[in-house]
Amino acid sequence: MDERTSLSRRKLLHTLAGAGVIAAADLAWWDAPFIAPRRAWGAEPVRFQWSVPEPTRIALMNSLVERFNQSQKDFAVQIEYVPQAQARQKLISAITGGSPPDLCQVWDNWVGQFNGMGAVEDITARAKTWKHYADVVPTAWQTVTINSKIISLPLAVTLDGIYYRTDRLKELGLKEPTPDWTWDEFLALSKAFTKADKNQYGYGMRGSGTWALLYPTEFAYANGAEVLKDGKVVINSKEAVDAVAWYLDLALKHKVTPPSAATDGFVEIVETFGRGVTSMYQHNSGSSGQQKKNVGVDKFATLPLPIGPAKKRASFWFSETLTMFKGAKNKEGAWQFMSFMLDDEPSLKYNTTLGLLPARKSILDRPVFSKDPALAGFVQSFPIGIVSPYLAYPGWGGKIDSDGVPLIQQAMLGKVSAKECLDRFAEILKKEMT
Amino acid sequence: MTRRAAPKDLAERVLAGPVIWIGLVLLTAFALGPFVWMFLTSLKDRQELYATPLQYLPVHPTFENYVDAWTSPVTPFSRFFLNSLWVCSVTMVATTVVSVLAGYAIARFRFAGRDALLLIFLATQMFPSVLLIAPLLTQWRTLGLIDTYQALIYSNFSFTVPFTVWMMVGYFSSIPRDLEESAMIDGCNHFGALCRIVLPLAAPGIAATAIFAFVVSWSELLFAISFTTETSMRTLSAGLLYMVGQYEVQWGQLSAGVILSTVPVAVLFSFLQRHLTHGLTAGAVKG
Amino acid sequence: MTTLTVAKPRTRPLISWRVRKLLIGYSYLVPAALCMLATVVVPILLAIKMSLYADILYKPQDYRFIGLGNYLRLVEDPVFWLTLRNSVVWVFGSVLLQFLLGFAAALLLQQAFTGRALVRTLTLLPWIIPGVVVGLIWEWLYQPNYGVINDLLIRVGLMQERVAWLSSPDLAMAAVVFTNVWRGIPFFAIMLLAGLQAVPDELYEAAHVDGAGVFARFWHITLPLLRPIIVVATATRIIWTFNYADLIFVMTGGGPANATQITSTYTLLQAYSSLDFGYAGALSVVLLLVMLAFTWLYLRTTKGLEDTE
Repeated sequence: MDERTSLSRRKLLHTLAGAGVIAAADLAWWDAPFIAPRRAWGAEPVRFQWSVPEPTRIALMNSLVERFNQSQKDFAVQIEYVPQAQARQKLISAITGGSPPDLCQVWDNWVGQFNGMGAVEDITARAKTWKHYADVVPTAWQTVTINSKIISLPLAVTLDGIYYRTDRLKELGLKEPTPDWTWDEFLALSKAFTKADKNQYGYGMRGSGTWALLYPTEFAYANGAEVLKDGKVVINSKEAVDAVAWYLDLALKHKVTPPSAATDGFVEIVETFGRGVTSMYQHNSGSSGQQKKNVGVDKFATLPLPIGPAKKRASFWFSETLTMFKGAKNKEGAWQFMSFMLDDEPSLKYNTTLGLLPARKSILDRPVFSKDPALAGFVQSFPIGIVSPYLAYPGWGGKIDSDGVPLIQQAMLGKVSAKECLDRFAEILKKEMT
Repeated sequence: MTRRAAPKDLAERVLAGPVIWIGLVLLTAFALGPFVWMFLTSLKDRQELYATPLQYLPVHPTFENYVDAWTSPVTPFSRFFLNSLWVCSVTMVATTVVSVLAGYAIARFRFAGRDALLLIFLATQMFPSVLLIAPLLTQWRTLGLIDTYQALIYSNFSFTVPFTVWMMVGYFSSIPRDLEESAMIDGCNHFGALCRIVLPLAAPGIAATAIFAFVVSWSELLFAISFTTETSMRTLSAGLLYMVGQYEVQWGQLSAGVILSTVPVAVLFSFLQRHLTHGLTAGAVKG
Repeated sequence: MTTLTVAKPRTRPLISWRVRKLLIGYSYLVPAALCMLATVVVPILLAIKMSLYADILYKPQDYRFIGLGNYLRLVEDPVFWLTLRNSVVWVFGSVLLQFLLGFAAALLLQQAFTGRALVRTLTLLPWIIPGVVVGLIWEWLYQPNYGVINDLLIRVGLMQERVAWLSSPDLAMAAVVFTNVWRGIPFFAIMLLAGLQAVPDELYEAAHVDGAGVFARFWHITLPLLRPIIVVATATRIIWTFNYADLIFVMTGGGPANATQITSTYTLLQAYSSLDFGYAGALSVVLLLVMLAFTWLYLRTTKGLEDTE
């Protein structure tokens, strides 16, 4: 063998042996070569999972948690940020693995399933004696109450409304829509906004994720339909079919929606509006902050959903909640932190930073919410807000995602009719009524 | 490849000339295209990012996204970076050692259940990892390994080792047996023969194995999120998802993070790729 | 190396050489076997058990042994059969293209040219990013309204109208496969590049002298010698791709209208949206069996388990 190969062989052997030695010797400190000694204060930890990390929210939560930790000596909240797409999966794994966090931030449409798993702590007694109990909007309480047990605190509430571009309106010389606008006006405006050759569309329809079904359901309610009536699934009633057919025609017949509608999720409907591709979309107040940055503060406004042929309308109410688990090791600490988050100052800071609406009436009445045109549509929606009918059974949430959304996508692509779509959807819901 | 003998035929001349160059350009362009776009995006500010129609080149290039990602206490990329580096390095070394041993054994020894064992290795890859999470979580928790590097490293074995063992079996079996046999006659024991004769010959295979182990654990996400809870224990791949908000993806910062996260792997690879060269085998066979 | 020409006379060892060889062989395997046992085999057994129960997490009161109940349900589930068909398209489309292009890339990167190290490194890049992030990025690139692909194609004049790649049932699968190919080429490129190093130059030279053209040499020398690695790499890749849900989950969520719903994304939906772990367990066990059968056939026809010698 020549010198060259034996040299490189020796080198390779050395590297390999060296690496092996390092790995073996390091066995003991595999766990923590970079970790500084743990903080050694006497406060009892509260493990808190936060489900939507993004720079703004992380910074906000870090500051709120720090304030809480400094305001008292008994408890120290340790916050864990889990990316949204993995948050639910992680919580479920943790619950089935018998080690849930003490407290988590989740949406009420998840809480039903968690409660069904027997994982959620009943906080009725604590909530009823809490100083702000009466100040929380009753509908908000409804969203977090299952079988007359309160299981979460509503950190923020969301209602759906319509975002629209005021600058485009002026540009096109159109009349400003009023809060009591109708379906016809909505359609006329969608058509006026649509300039397909310029890549502009009237309405950013959502085709992906749970809300792809919730938005048309809201339109169905405006036509007098319901999901559940006297304990029976009636989402395939004539009123509902007509309404959903009308809604789908926005894409199929009038073509006022962008071509990507069938797979557009939250991020896409928000971004298409932010880039001026769509001039209206349906969403809750959560994206108002982004649109202020993307579109500009004075270039858009919001309205409640339009009134349907039945002279009705409804906006589904959801809550972003703080939920305590039964397996929590530090229930008192978790409660202290939950209620701290709903105190005046944290609640105000949380909601104004994120463009959400607080669940407490006294805070909601402040001008920062009620006088902001970007939030006006949602504040005006409070009277038409109802708890989402899909929260009725814990199994429905999952079935909407796994079966309902593909169905409505087929309908959006014109592969099945609105009637067929709703008939099959009703069947799916019926099977899950336990 | 340099070839001295015989004049080249036409096909060979065409292949050696234009085809190679066109191929290389296409290959690089395809692989790099999205990265170019990410890089341009990472230099844009919000205004340029959201410009309609699309603005290709940043007019006022800014490095703010990089500085933000790297230094922000909110998304401590520098920390994620160290975590990833450690987890992936250990995974790489351990995987390589384990699979060299196992691969050698399977390639060289005849024993009952060899084929079955190989099939079992493959079979372990046939199960969706999302369903492995819950039992693994319980297991790591019982062992007190949550929020430790071990949990991530051990879990990474579940998808690195099976393939690398196979890979090494394939590689070892392409190395002639007589070389080690003569060494063993010379007084080397099996392990000695493995270290002195076989390993140098298998260097390209080992390098590929190491690269594989490093890269796949670098991009691993599910375990990284499931078995750690503290921000300070998150890896880069998990950290990247901190840029994905509920209603908005922070494209500028995500792009910066993607570009940053590719650098160490690229550096490591540019070292390891030297072993992916011809010559070692040929020389040794001759010798 | 110094050579000892005289072998020492051996005394008969306590344990015969054959048994000893066997023991050494097994002992080399212990670490790998332990890794597998702890991280995969035990969880798989648990999942098989799970598939025999009615295990819907939010209905703990209904938890009971139902034998093959979940499997019977699966046979009658039209979506399952659809996902199986989609999986086949997804897997074979992805792996075939990854392999062909990856092989081409390996042959190119094997050549000597200036800047080879750099080009090799650049080619590797798509592999480094987590699948979830790749999905996000490509979804963004594909976006019809503000994605750069549409914009570029229109500017260049190759397209007149914007195409919603991911939202059209006819194009969505092709689009996700394309992304997967992009991400998968480096894997094959690196593995096959390593394999190419084991082919001795002498063989090529001898063949060349014998008048074998470049294609003949590729067919008769390169391919047969690379066979073990090709078989391993393709078999593993096929299995991974069957199970690979991230990309599709992020890019289309299985839509539009289940056009890209593959069995693994469907399993994910059943497990983490419907919380039906019993059914999800059954789905994954069936997928496991399908893949086992496939792998066994594949290895038999390609003789992947046999020595090259």
